[in-house]
Amino acid sequence: MTAEDPTMRSFNADSQLLSDTDRNASMHTSSKLYKPLSSDMLFYYERLLPFKQIFRWLSHSPKATREFTMREFAYEFRSGAYQRYNSFASVDEFKKSVVAANPTRFEVGAVYAVNPKERKNLPKSAMKPLQKELVFDIDLTDYDEIRTCCLKTDICKKCWRFIQVAAEIITAALREDFGFEHFIWVFSGRRGAHCWVSDSRARLLDELARKSIVEYMDVLSGRMLKMGRTSLGIKKPYHPHIERSFDVLKDKFSEIILEEQNPWATSAGSDTNWDHVDTLLSFLPDQGLRQALKSKWQDQASYSSSKQKWDDLTSVGQKVLKHQSQAVQLTDAKKEIIIYYMYPRLDVEVSKQMIHLLKSPFCIHPGTGNVCVPFDPFRNLSSDMEDDAYGFNPVNAPNLSQLQTEIDTWDANSAYKAPSESSESEAISDYAKSSLKPYVDYFSTYVSSIIKDELTGSNKRAQDLMDF
Amino acid sequence: MFRQTKRRTAGRRNFEDVASYSSLATSAYPSRLSFYETPPLEEITLEEFELWAIDRLKILIEIESCLARSKSLKEIELVVKPLLLKYLPLSPTTSLGLDAKAIAERRKDYYSHYILRLVFCRTEELRKKLVKNETTLFKVRYNMLQPNEQREFVSLNSEKLSWQYISNEEKLEKADELYAASGASIRNVLSIDNAGDATFNLTAEQLKAHIRQKESFIKLPFEKVPHLVSLKQVYLSRGFAYIPSTLQVSLLSVVFSDLLHNALIKTFQAIPRLEEDDRLLPLLNNLSRNFANIQYDNFGDGNTSDINAVSIATPQILQHYPLCALYLQENLKLNSHLKYDGRQQLGLFLKGIGLNVDEALKFWSYEFTKSSKMNMDTFNKEYKYNIRHIYGLEGGRINYKPYDCATILLRKRPQKGEYHGCPYRDLSMDLVVSRLGDMGIKDQHDINGIIEDINKHDYTVACTRVFELRHKQQMDASKPENLHITHPNLYFDRSRQLERNETKAVASK
Repeated sequence: MTAEDPTMRSFNADSQLLSDTDRNASMHTSSKLYKPLSSDMLFYYERLLPFKQIFRWLSHSPKATREFTMREFAYEFRSGAYQRYNSFASVDEFKKSVVAANPTRFEVGAVYAVNPKERKNLPKSAMKPLQKELVFDIDLTDYDEIRTCCLKTDICKKCWRFIQVAAEIITAALREDFGFEHFIWVFSGRRGAHCWVSDSRARLLDELARKSIVEYMDVLSGRMLKMGRTSLGIKKPYHPHIERSFDVLKDKFSEIILEEQNPWATSAGSDTNWDHVDTLLSFLPDQGLRQALKSKWQDQASYSSSKQKWDDLTSVGQKVLKHQSQAVQLTDAKKEIIIYYMYPRLDVEVSKQMIHLLKSPFCIHPGTGNVCVPFDPFRNLSSDMEDDAYGFNPVNAPNLSQLQTEIDTWDANSAYKAPSESSESEAISDYAKSSLKPYVDYFSTYVSSIIKDELTGSNKRAQDLMDF
Repeated sequence: MFRQTKRRTAGRRNFEDVASYSSLATSAYPSRLSFYETPPLEEITLEEFELWAIDRLKILIEIESCLARSKSLKEIELVVKPLLLKYLPLSPTTSLGLDAKAIAERRKDYYSHYILRLVFCRTEELRKKLVKNETTLFKVRYNMLQPNEQREFVSLNSEKLSWQYISNEEKLEKADELYAASGASIRNVLSIDNAGDATFNLTAEQLKAHIRQKESFIKLPFEKVPHLVSLKQVYLSRGFAYIPSTLQVSLLSVVFSDLLHNALIKTFQAIPRLEEDDRLLPLLNNLSRNFANIQYDNFGDGNTSDINAVSIATPQILQHYPLCALYLQENLKLNSHLKYDGRQQLGLFLKGIGLNVDEALKFWSYEFTKSSKMNMDTFNKEYKYNIRHIYGLEGGRINYKPYDCATILLRKRPQKGEYHGCPYRDLSMDLVVSRLGDMGIKDQHDINGIIEDINKHDYTVACTRVFELRHKQQMDASKPENLHITHPNLYFDRSRQLERNETKAVASK
C-alpha cells in the first residue's frame, strides 16, 4: 500500500478526523487513542500476532485437531462487512488467510460437526455447534450508573478496579463452585474484559447449562422498586456464592467506592451527585430515616464526603429507628448497597449462545489500537511497578503504535551494535522485541497447561472407552 | 413381544434367551416403579396387546387433560389415583416376594408402556406428548411409593443416575452452606407435606437441625440440574451440585423423560421392520387416532371448503369463531392492521379452517389497504412474505400448524396495540363480560361460572363453557360426547359440525 494510493489517503484523512473527535470526547484515554491503518494491521499480522499460540489454544494440542479445523472464524472489515464461517486446516493457512484478508479484527466461534467453510454444500441442520469455550464479557458501560470517574467508552485506572473485583468474584465461582481450572482473562481493547474457559467440560456445555451458569452469577438483575424503595431481592440466608462474594466486596468497598469513586460527595450549592445520593437513599428501609438523612445532608454548609454519608447511615439510623427489626433491615440494606455498587455486571447474552462469536485474544481494538492482551487479574505482567496495585492497567496496555516504535528501535539498535550477531537476532520472534512479550509468554504458559491436561484427560477417556 | 414365526426368531440371541428370561420374572420387575429399560420379550396375545394399551391410554388421556388445564401435581394425583387402581394397579413387593398377581400387574404395566411407545414414536409432536404424560405418571407413582421403596428404587438405578450419596461427615462439614442454599426448598417441601397442619411452622434452627439429622444429600454434576443452578437453589462445589433428598423426584423425572425421549427416537427408527406385520399396524393406527382426539390436528379438509376471502367476513362463518379469533379479526378490520404475533395467530387459524393461500392474500391485502393508510406496493413488500411464510411457501418452508390453546397461553402476552393471546386471560373482566354479552351469553349465573373459571386460570375451561352455552340447543339435540376445547380450530370445526348435523336433521324431517 503506497502513500500515492488515493483511496488510502482519503481514508487516512477520515480516520484522522474521527480520532480527533474521539480525542476531544475522551480526556482519560486520549494519550493513546489512535486508529491503526490497514498497513499497520498488515505489519501486525505479518510480524507480531502470535498465531501459533492462538492455534494451540484453540486446538488444545500442538497439532491440528478437529477442535481447530472445524472451528468458525469471522472477519470484520473496514467497510463494516462481516464475513462468517471461515475455517482453516493448519496454523499456516490460518495466518496466510488473515494476512491476505487483513481484517480489522477476527473473532472466534464454535466448533461444528462439519467444516464451516463447506456449509454451502451441506444441509442447514448439519451446522450443529459441538463445542465452544464458555465465555464471559464485562463491559464498563454497564457500570455507568455507578462510576463517577468516566462515562461510556472512556476508561481509567479507577474504573478498572471494578473489572478487577469482578474477575476475582468470577474466578472464585468458576474454580470453587463449577470446578473449572483453565480460564484466562483478556482485555477487550477499550473498556472491558473477556474471560475464556477452556476446560473440556466447559466447552461441551449445552446452552441450557450456559444460561444456568450466567444466571447463577447474576445477582443484580433482580433489582426492583417496591413502595418507593429499591431492593435487590436477595433471599436470606445468602446463597454461599453470594456470601463468599460479599466477603470479598465488603473489604474493598471502602477503598473503591467511598474513596476512589466517591459517588455521594456533595458540596453546598452544587447539584452534583445528588442523583447518586438519591439512589443510595432509595435502598434504605424506612421513610423517616430517608428523610432525616436527606435533610441532614442538604443542610450541610460545606463539602461532605461519601465516607461521612456512609457513617451517617448507621449513626442517624440508631437515632431514628426504634425497633430491633428495623435495625436488622438497615444492616441488610447496607449489605445490598455494597453488592449493588460492587458486584460484577455481566453482559449475559454473550455467554448464553454457543455460536456467539467473540474477538480473539491479541487482536487490535480498531478504535484504540490497543492489543487485546491476556492478563492476570491478580498479578501485574507489565514491567511498570506503578500498575502493581491494579493487576493490569488498561491505560498502559500494549498499543500497536508503541509496539512498532519498540521494534524499530530494537532493530536499529541491534543492526548498529553487532552486525555479526545478526544470525542470532533473527531467531528472536518480533513480539519478543516489544512490550508484548510478557503477555505472549503468559499466554503460552497458560496454553501449555491446557494441552498438558487435555493429553492426560484424553488418555483417561480412551482408558474409559476400553473398559467399556 | 410379537408373535413371530419361528423362522424369523431362530438364531437371534434375544429370543433364545426368552425361556430363561421369563423364569426370572421376579427379578425382572424388582420395583413397582421402572425406567422401562429392557424391552419385554415374552409372547402376549393380540387381545392383551390392545386391551392393555387402551387401559394405559385412558390414564394418559386423563393426565393430558389435567395438564392442559394446568392443574398442579397434587391435583393430578387426586384425579389419577382412582384410575390407576382401576386400570393399572401395582401391588408392592411383600416380605414373601412377589406373588403371581403382583407379577401380572407389573407385566401389564411394562408391556402397555412399550406398546404405547410403538404407537407414539412417529412424529416429534406425539413423542413430546407421550414423554410429558408418561413423566407425569412417573412422578405421581414415585410419590405413591413408601420411603423405603423410593430409596430402593434409587439404589437399583444408581449407575444410570450418576448420583452419589454424600457421607454424613461431608454433610455435617458443609451443613451451613447446604442450609443457605437449599434450606428454602426443603422448607417448602416440608410445609406442603404438612399442609393439613395449620400450626406447622419451622424456625431456622429447626430447619438446620432437620438438615443435620434427617435430610440426606446426593451430589451430581451441575449440568444435570440447570434449573436449580439458575435459581441458586443448590449448593455447588467443584462442579458438583448438592441436592437434598426432598427434591429428588424432580431429578428422577428428568432422567426418566430423557431416557424415554431417546428410546422413542430409536423405536421410530426401528419401526419400518414392523411395517409388514398386518395384525399390529391397524391396531397401532387405531390407537394413535384415539390419542388424536385429545390432540387436535386434523384441520380443514380443503376440498369441500366454502371458506374464502369474502365468506370469512360473513356472520355465517364468524358465528363459529372462538373469541380469540373473533377478537383478532375484528381488530384487524377496525385498524386495517395487525402486529406480527396477531398475524401469526389469526393467519394460522384461518389456514386451519381452510382458507387457501390465494384467498388469504386477497383477504389480508384487502384489510391492510382498505383504509388508504397503506398501498398495495407496501403490502406486497412488507407483508406478503409473512402470509406466504405461514403457508410454508417461503424461508424454511415449514408447514406450520395453527396454535393450540396451550401454545397461545405460552407465547408472550399482548402489549398495547396487540390483540393476540387468549382473551379470557388477556382482557379485563369488564371487557370479557361485555364480549360474552355480544355472543349472547347474558345470564348472570352463566357469566359467574365463566368468571370463576377465569379466576382459577382455567381459560380453556372457560372457553369450553362458552362453547357449550352457545350451542346448547344443538348439543341437546345431537347429544355429542363432552369435549374439552383445547384448540381454537377445534372450537370452529365442532361448531360447524353441530350446525351441519342440525341442517341434516331438518332436511331429513
